[in-house]
Amino acid sequence: MSTDEKIEPPSINDAKATAAIQGMSIVARTQGQLVRRRFFRHRAAMISLTILILVILLAYTSIGFAGIPGWWIWDYYTPGLVVNRGAPTLSVWPEFLGGNGFHIGLHPFGQDDLGRDYFALTMRGAQISIMIAFVVGIVSTVIGVIVGALAGYYRGWVESALMRFTDVMITIPLLVIAAVLGQKFGGSGPLVLAIVIGLVLWTGLARLVRGEFLSLREKEFVEAARALGAKPNRIIFRHILPNTVGVITVSATLAVASAILLETALSYLGFGVRPPDTSLGLLVSNYQNAFATRPWLFWWPGLFIITIALTVNFIGDGLRDAFDPRQNRVRA
Amino acid sequence: MASFIVRRLFISFFVLLGATFIVYILVSSAGDPRTALLESNDPGKANKIAALTRNLSLDMPVIPRYLNWLKGALGCFIGNCDLGNTSTGAVVTSQLSSAIGATLRLVVFAAVIAIVLGVTVGMITALRQYSGLDYTVTFLSFLFFSLPVFWIAVLMKQFLAIRFNDWLKSPTIPPWATVLIAALVGLSAMALVGGARSRRLAAFAGGALVTVVILVYLNLTQWFAEPGIGVVPMIVMSAVTAVGATALLAGFRGRIVLYATLVTAAVGVICYFALDSVLANPTNLIIFGLLVVALLVSAGIGAAMGGLYRSQAIKACMLTGFGCGALIFTANLLDAVPAYSAEVNGVVIATIGASTPNFQGNYWETWLDTLGHLILPTMAIVLISFAQYTRYTRSSMLEVMNADYIRTARAKGLTERTVVVRHGFRNALIPITTVMAIDFGGLIGGAIITETVFGWSGMGKFFNDALKIPDPNAVMGFFLVTGAAIVVFNMLADITYGFLDPRIRLT
Amino acid sequence: MTVPQTTPPDDVPGGSLYGPAREDGDIFPAVQPSQGAELFKPHLSSVGDVEVLRVEDLTVGFPTEDGLVRAVRGVSYTLHEREVLGIVGESGSGKSVSSMAVMGLLPKSARITGTISFRGQNILSMSQKQQRSLRGRKIAMIFQDPMTAMNPVYSIGDQLAEAVLSHEVMPKKAAMARAEEMLGLVGIPQPKARLRSYPHEFSGGMRQRAMIAMAVINNPDVIIADEPTTALDVTVQAQILEKLIEVKDAFNAAIVLITHDLGVVAGMAHRTLVMYAGRPVELGNTDDVFYRPRMPYTAGLLGSIPSGGDTGRLRPITGAPPSLINLPEGCPFSPRCPLATDICRTVEPQLSSTDAPEHTAACHHWDTLSAAEDPTAFFRTESEARR
Repeated sequence: MSTDEKIEPPSINDAKATAAIQGMSIVARTQGQLVRRRFFRHRAAMISLTILILVILLAYTSIGFAGIPGWWIWDYYTPGLVVNRGAPTLSVWPEFLGGNGFHIGLHPFGQDDLGRDYFALTMRGAQISIMIAFVVGIVSTVIGVIVGALAGYYRGWVESALMRFTDVMITIPLLVIAAVLGQKFGGSGPLVLAIVIGLVLWTGLARLVRGEFLSLREKEFVEAARALGAKPNRIIFRHILPNTVGVITVSATLAVASAILLETALSYLGFGVRPPDTSLGLLVSNYQNAFATRPWLFWWPGLFIITIALTVNFIGDGLRDAFDPRQNRVRA
Repeated sequence: MASFIVRRLFISFFVLLGATFIVYILVSSAGDPRTALLESNDPGKANKIAALTRNLSLDMPVIPRYLNWLKGALGCFIGNCDLGNTSTGAVVTSQLSSAIGATLRLVVFAAVIAIVLGVTVGMITALRQYSGLDYTVTFLSFLFFSLPVFWIAVLMKQFLAIRFNDWLKSPTIPPWATVLIAALVGLSAMALVGGARSRRLAAFAGGALVTVVILVYLNLTQWFAEPGIGVVPMIVMSAVTAVGATALLAGFRGRIVLYATLVTAAVGVICYFALDSVLANPTNLIIFGLLVVALLVSAGIGAAMGGLYRSQAIKACMLTGFGCGALIFTANLLDAVPAYSAEVNGVVIATIGASTPNFQGNYWETWLDTLGHLILPTMAIVLISFAQYTRYTRSSMLEVMNADYIRTARAKGLTERTVVVRHGFRNALIPITTVMAIDFGGLIGGAIITETVFGWSGMGKFFNDALKIPDPNAVMGFFLVTGAAIVVFNMLADITYGFLDPRIRLT
Repeated sequence: MTVPQTTPPDDVPGGSLYGPAREDGDIFPAVQPSQGAELFKPHLSSVGDVEVLRVEDLTVGFPTEDGLVRAVRGVSYTLHEREVLGIVGESGSGKSVSSMAVMGLLPKSARITGTISFRGQNILSMSQKQQRSLRGRKIAMIFQDPMTAMNPVYSIGDQLAEAVLSHEVMPKKAAMARAEEMLGLVGIPQPKARLRSYPHEFSGGMRQRAMIAMAVINNPDVIIADEPTTALDVTVQAQILEKLIEVKDAFNAAIVLITHDLGVVAGMAHRTLVMYAGRPVELGNTDDVFYRPRMPYTAGLLGSIPSGGDTGRLRPITGAPPSLINLPEGCPFSPRCPLATDICRTVEPQLSSTDAPEHTAACHHWDTLSAAEDPTAFFRTESEARR
């Protein structure tokens, strides 16, 4: 009964043996793998992800981007002859049901006042809007995480100062400050606009991250790390932050979704993207009064806005379920 | 509690101060209000530019200008508000007050509807988790949440206003519409009822049948051309209100509550006829007075007849009284529709503005005018807000229904209705009221896009127009009101939370 | 009321966790298998004649995405007036689920078969309304964690009064008076003032007392206590259990005591039911089960309790409980059982009589255990042999 003898810990092998008898096997999985599995099971999110990727690919490859040419015959700035009042040449209704059969035609989305191909215009608008949405998402996430982490970890006057600052930013309604910034910077191009909007969208995430840090820093593993002499940097980045990845990812995704709605709203009001650039919101704003006579000018950009926002929202929901599975689905 | 409020106000004052500074700097640097004049060909522009410069102190550097503005703003605490002038020379404070009035009318109405609808639907989907209804509502919420307001507004203007007004000229319901609506109502009834398959199919059949009967009746009598609530429908709907109020608040175990609410409904029906002359052309004051009387009388009936269930009877009777009053109000409104339609040339649902200019009509027609103008922008706001409330209520309710104390409540032998309403709903409501308060605070800023699209002369349009110039004093005035509202409502949210949850005692 | 010592004195050879047996009969007398002594429980009154609860062949299954979880597979027991039945088992053994079935608190998706008779009437065939009239009135339940089991936004008085008013119509004042009476009965000081307190203002022990009050306020015939002391400090545990016995005698009720703590059962229960993998594996008088276990699982549990004189390593039962979706053929305990033979791995043993009257066990080799002087030695040898 000497205590110096090394004894193999019984648990994992016995568990495996017991499981084997039942015809099952124990497989170790990392948390990342678990999350990914759960995400792939979420049908709505997977479908949305596919659609979103297709839309992004379509937008960027069809008319090309940053000098790289695309596969679409028209570009978005060359005016042309307006054919048939610019009506769309796309038809999908099959002939045997009374339609014109399926063909795309020269201008599937129609043409605008100046004869420019509307598909190309919509794609260009989509490119800008998507780019802005993602840049805003990244910028706001980075700022939000840093502010929240510092406030949540260091407490004391650092927290007070950062949180008061966050409160000040929250007091200003989002659309208001975005509009003001847009008014000032909108003329400097979409990228600058995106960064500037990102500078105001981080407050929600900062609060969330701070809350997570507040609860996590009291956990035993942080105490243990500190007792082992870990520097605050290490504790924040290697111990606490990985545990907040779920909250951050979900928030970032939702930020992208609200960013695209925000940007299109700003462009619609005139405080966002300015001509000669175009964005989906600007397109809607330009042609809203044409709805009665040339509805296609109005439908296509709107549908793209909805599709992008909807798919990103579903992906965010899927991520939320994947990171925090408290579901107990029962086949009734 | 008092010390909490004082401390919060103190901190909020400085937070707001900091925010005003940031916004002022940004607005001032966003552009020059004199740009339009500079670029115009007006021969007298030199004078106008000089006047504008003097008016807005544009020759001063930014920070002293801000301090100047601040001095005027701080005067608000002593009742002497001076927020400067707009670039057109109008006084900001008076412009703001009319804008606030318009916005409040829109926003309060929309918020109430969004909350009532959103919370109800959220609760129902939480109780019927993973059902077909749940998935449909979830998908729809996501869809509404992803809609750009400005885009859907245009659609609404076309289909819900212009086409609807045209349809009203000869309102017949085509058969396909009847079938579709009946199917939808049947499906909703089926989803709401829950339980065994046979029960749900019966609900579907019942709902669809009732809908078909109603729609055919409406069609045959050309109801939409000359709407109103007749005697029989009034009696039926009052009775239904009574039964509904009882089911919701008291359950049917003690019959006496049901009797009390039915008596209240009967009194309501009698009033419908008795008060005809009073209601011919009343004023808001009379209506308000009638409401108070109605509530008191219903409470009285409940108290008199309640017996052992007195408190529940009073509540149920008051709800019934309110419902019947609403029915009478609606009946009178509907009666006035033909006259109103004639006055506005058939534009019953309006797309621009808050009211028809130069409108003359009696009380009910004026109400119809207001409602006709309100309905579209309200729907736009509700569409997006509702999705948020539904999701939020659903997750809050789900969390609560999985809690241990719900299991204890069931173990005590309480009916499912009591468990859901008294234990589940009450607890789920706590975080929701916080959201409501914060949301409402934000709405005061005006639904900027909605107001712009629908030409509503409220805060949003004021801000939009001001920022285009950009007009620093106007924008600052707007921000002051909005920011103060956000701050106040955030504080209210925390106070409400402390009030509703006994575990939180605000210090 | 004396609180039993928890550190065993050094001079008692092979002393047990709760100290030597005391002559005034405290709640947790020593469990010393080798001496074959009788557990002295004079505070437990005699069992009545009337049978109040009879569970026959109860099975509960939950359909899930991964398959049917067979949580309870054939539980049967009877309960008489003033009797205390202890149900012992690990997490996942089905002990809580079977009691939730008795209360009718399982989700609608659960598949339940068998009969649960309360005073002769089958609960499972009753309508929802009839079941509800029994719940909280004739059959009451006490849950594990009193902090989360009570609604935080209503006062204790409100929640107690609600329990009364849901079954009887009376003025609110009368219900509150009854609530006050119950709070006094369970030993909460100043009950009238405490009626207005909220759950978070109580201590853990007082909260559990309030839960007991809530359970017995309608004079039930059966009280099901699901791990009533697990969430409490050891010193408070004894008080709560004592109060439970008092209350049971005051109302002539029977108690089903579910726990994983053998010490609690030893001091409180007339009879003990041991569950494993959703099945009852041993049922008998507490003395019989503790001193003369006839099922290796029970022996293993008893053997794993550390004694004061031991100096070696702890002796857990090796292995882990099986998954309830994919149960192995034969006896579910066979992978971990030192006595397992081929028949154990192919044929699942049923509860059958052993050498003592009314002592049943589900084991093919119960006779091996009865032949041994110290049945727990099998497990000790086993784990020692592994070194």
